[in-house]
Formats: sequence, structure tokens, C-alpha cells
Amino acid sequence: MRIRNLLKQYGGKKVVDDVSFEIHKGKVTSLIGPNGAGKSTIMSMISRLIAADAGAIEVEGKSLKDWQSRELSKHLAILTQSNNIQMKLTVRELIAFGRFPHSCGRNTKEDEERIDRAIAYMELEEFQDCFIDELSGGQRQRAFIAMVIAQDTEYVLLDEPTNNLDIYYATNMMKILRRLCDELGKTVILVLHEINYAAFYSDYICAFKNGQIAKYGTVHEVITKENLAEIYRVDFEIMEIEGRPLSIYY
Amino acid sequence: MSSETVNLVATMKRADRRNNTQKLVIMSVLALLAAALYMLIDLDFSNTRFLRFALKLRTPKLIVMMITSFAIGGASIVFQSIINNNVVTPCLLGMNSLYTAIHTAVVFFAGAGSVLAINANLSFAVDLILMGIVATTIYSYLFKKTNHNILYVLLIGTVLTSFFGSIQSTMTRVMDPNDYDALLATLVASFNNINSEIIVSSLITLVLIIIVLRKEIMLLDVLTLGKNQAINLGVDYDKCIRKLLLGVTLCIAVATAMVGPISFLGLIVANLSRQLLKTYRHSQLVLGAGLFGMIILIGGQMLVERVFVYSIPVSVFITVGGGIYFLYLLLANKK
Repeated sequence: MRIRNLLKQYGGKKVVDDVSFEIHKGKVTSLIGPNGAGKSTIMSMISRLIAADAGAIEVEGKSLKDWQSRELSKHLAILTQSNNIQMKLTVRELIAFGRFPHSCGRNTKEDEERIDRAIAYMELEEFQDCFIDELSGGQRQRAFIAMVIAQDTEYVLLDEPTNNLDIYYATNMMKILRRLCDELGKTVILVLHEINYAAFYSDYICAFKNGQIAKYGTVHEVITKENLAEIYRVDFEIMEIEGRPLSIYY
Repeated sequence: MSSETVNLVATMKRADRRNNTQKLVIMSVLALLAAALYMLIDLDFSNTRFLRFALKLRTPKLIVMMITSFAIGGASIVFQSIINNNVVTPCLLGMNSLYTAIHTAVVFFAGAGSVLAINANLSFAVDLILMGIVATTIYSYLFKKTNHNILYVLLIGTVLTSFFGSIQSTMTRVMDPNDYDALLATLVASFNNINSEIIVSSLITLVLIIIVLRKEIMLLDVLTLGKNQAINLGVDYDKCIRKLLLGVTLCIAVATAMVGPISFLGLIVANLSRQLLKTYRHSQLVLGAGLFGMIILIGGQMLVERVFVYSIPVSVFITVGGGIYFLYLLLANKK
């Protein structure tokens, strides 16, 4: 996936200003940065939830605008923060919606098998007939990930997947995303607030500041004392744990 | 929750679900029973002239009640899914006031003597077209501007209701009294005074809506997942919403033209249907809402005609009952 000269303005203010970068296939890439850096806006544009004012996003060598929405939804899945569902929907029914781009609502036996596999992968068997609104936040998030798995796309995009989760569920979520990449070969792109989750679980980090890319590279290239201090304007200490640069700030 | 209780809950839910077909069958039987009772009650089969008179009086009323039930039930369910909220209905946002205002405006500007006011079907067609254009523009703009924020939508909707009402009453006040007299006959349509001239064109309109929107109707289940999820699953969201909104406004226009405004009916039937069926499947929800509508309307009309001898119109019951139910829904939702 290649992003070229992306631009987005809100009321004359450039939220995303001439951003170009390339996403490495089959890797986990985290977008980090302070509030208002434009990372979520970029994510929304990549996933066609909002339109860019200028620039191009290429998926599989084809511009996002040239993709048919239905066809694109077989290649690219997005999970946003707010998933407020008013309907009475069971976990299994939600996950079955992941097959919609492939089956148009008429699920075949193969679709059902894929749904079963997604449920098993996220260990949701015992909840599959519970209603979504009866689950805890962590379980609900897992159900949505299972839906993304059932959608079976090459790219998986997540906007702050650890938001509103406690440490246990957030860590679990990050492990799951790592497994999506390692075991299922997916290209995972996520917006994260927690620098250490990004440092520990991703391959590449793209740091934003004021709508522009501040640093983009491997975890070790980006997570340094100097870089973080410049991006966040706070002093950092970096510690190496399990070969990963983890940061401390106070 | 231990896994055992989860399993127990799960089996109960599954049993619940399987019964949906059963529930719908029972409701269909009840609705048909109400319809049959309405037609047959107090019929004197020995007197053919009386029989013919009674049937001539009752048949159009029954047909109109059935059409209204499904038009309002379907429109309300679809509208709620579009806006992703279960306590809002098109009528609460002033759609039927808008229709009344448009209908008045047509007579006001064209004059009661013009063909637009005299020919019921032509006047209905003009109303429908105007309503389709005006309502879709206003409401899709409203949704877009408020970003589907339900509180703003409700607030603006309430303001719009009185706004359209004021426009309408201003026009009737400055209108030529003769025009007003002609207008009144079609304006104060109710279940005791139905507009039966447009039954056929209403039916045709509803069938056309279903045919034209069949693709979007299939997408309704996905739309309830919310805007982001719908786009994620490959739905052309904005276009789909616009088309469905057009369908909703036309359904409301059809119902209002035939029986006048009944504000809370949509709210009652849509929520009863959702509570009873507990599903996301719109085929079941719309059918359920339509059947509830039939049971309430036909049952209510029977009460009005037989017990209260026309002293209270059925819409009064619906408004009183609906108002209380609306409060209950708001308070229950808050928890």
C-alpha cells in the first residue's frame, strides 16, 4: 500500500499535510503521535471512511478511487473505535457479517466454515449465541476482531484498538494482532496511543506531528530518546527489554 | 459468568430465535382474525341491501388500515435503522406535518378550483413528488450537518414539526374561505373519514417503492452496523441512505394522505416489533411492525365504532398510549 501526498483540511486548517509513505506488506505498522497529529484522519482516509482533499492511496497498485467499494472490502478491513450497535445481534451473527462482501448476505457452507474458524481463533465458542450488548468491552472487541478475520482481507486496519480496554485486555489485543500478522500473514496497520505497545508489538512505526510524518522506520530507528522528545516534547528514558526499546516518561 | 450459565443463556437465546417464525405466524393469525371480525361483526346476512351497504363502508376502511399499517411500520423500522436509534420515528421529526404543509401549499397556490385540487389522484401525485424532493433534501441535510447526532436531530425535528405546522396554519388563515372549505375535506382525513379515492394509487406507489429500492432493502441489515462498518463491508453508504430516506418519506406521505397524521403509531409498532422479535433481520422486523399496526388499528377502530360509538377517534388512543410508551422507552433506554 502506497500513500502519496495526502492532504486533508478542516476549515482551512491542514490536519494532514502532504503525507507520503509506503506500508510494508505482511508486517505490523503502528501510527503514533500526540493528539491532533492527524494519525486517525490518515487512517480514515486509507480506509475510505472519509475522502482525501488531495493525494492518492494505492492498494495493490490501484488507486482507492478506482476500486469498487464491494471489491475493496475483500482486500481491506477497518475497525474503528466507536462500534455502537443498537440492534439485538448475537456474536455469531456479527461475525457472519464479515462474510458479507463475499456472499452478499447469502452465506454458503464455506462461509459458515470460515465463520466457525474465526470464532475458534478468537476463542469465542461459548459466547457465540450471546447478544453483543451483554458482553464486556474486551469480549466485544474480540468479537469485532473475529468479524475482521471472517472478512478475510489482506489488510487489517485498526483505529486505537486498545482504547477503553484495561491492561489485561489491551495486552491480549496486541498479542492477537501480532498473531494475525505472524500466523495469518496479514498486513496490520494500527493507530496507537501507547508508545510501548507500538514498540513491543510492531515491526514499523510511523510517528506523526502536526499533520506530517516526523519519523518513519523500524521500531529501533524511531523509538529513540531524541526522536520521542522531539515528537512529544517530554523527556524520555529508553530501556531495552527483550530486544525492544521501551520508553519511560514522567 | 461461568461457562455453564453462558451455555444456558445461549440455549435460551437460540430457542427464543427459533420461535420468531412461530411468533410471526401467531401475529398474522391475530391480525387476520381482527380483519375478519371487523368485516363480519353485526352483519345481517338476511338483508342483502344492508349487507352490501355495510361491506361498501367497511372494505375500503379495512384496506386503508392494512396499507397504513405496513407503510408506517415499514417506514419507521427503516428510518430507525438509517439513523441507528430506536426511539425516533419519521413522524416525531415532523414528516407528516411537512406533508400536510405541502398539501395545503398546493391548494393555496393552485386554488381549489384547479385540476390539482379537484382530481384526488393528480393532487396526490403532485404531493408525493414535492414531498419526495423537499423531505429528502431537508432530512439528509439535517443528518449530514448534525453528523447523525440523535439529540440534535430530535431537537431540530421537534422545531421543524412546529415550523411546518405554523406555515400550514398561516396559509389556511390567509386562504380564500372557499379554498379552505375544499381543502378541509382532504386535510382532516382520519380513520372515520378516510381518503378512499387514492387507494389504488397508494398501493401502486408502495409496490413501486419496494421494486425500486429492492437492492437497498437487502442492505438494511448491514446498515444497522453503523456507517463505518457498512462502508467497511462495501456499502455505498451515502447513496444508499438517500434512496432509503426517499422511500421512507413517500411511505409516510401515502399514510398521511389516506388517514391523516397519527404521530405515535410508528413508534409503537416499530418498538413492539423490535422487543418481541429481538432480531436484526429487517424482513422479520418490518413484517412484525406491519402486523402490530394491523392489530392495533383494526382492534382500535372496532373499539371506537362498537364501544365508544365514534365519540373518540382511534388516533386519540394511539396518541395517549404512544406518548406513555415513548416516555417509557426514553427512561428504559437511559439505564
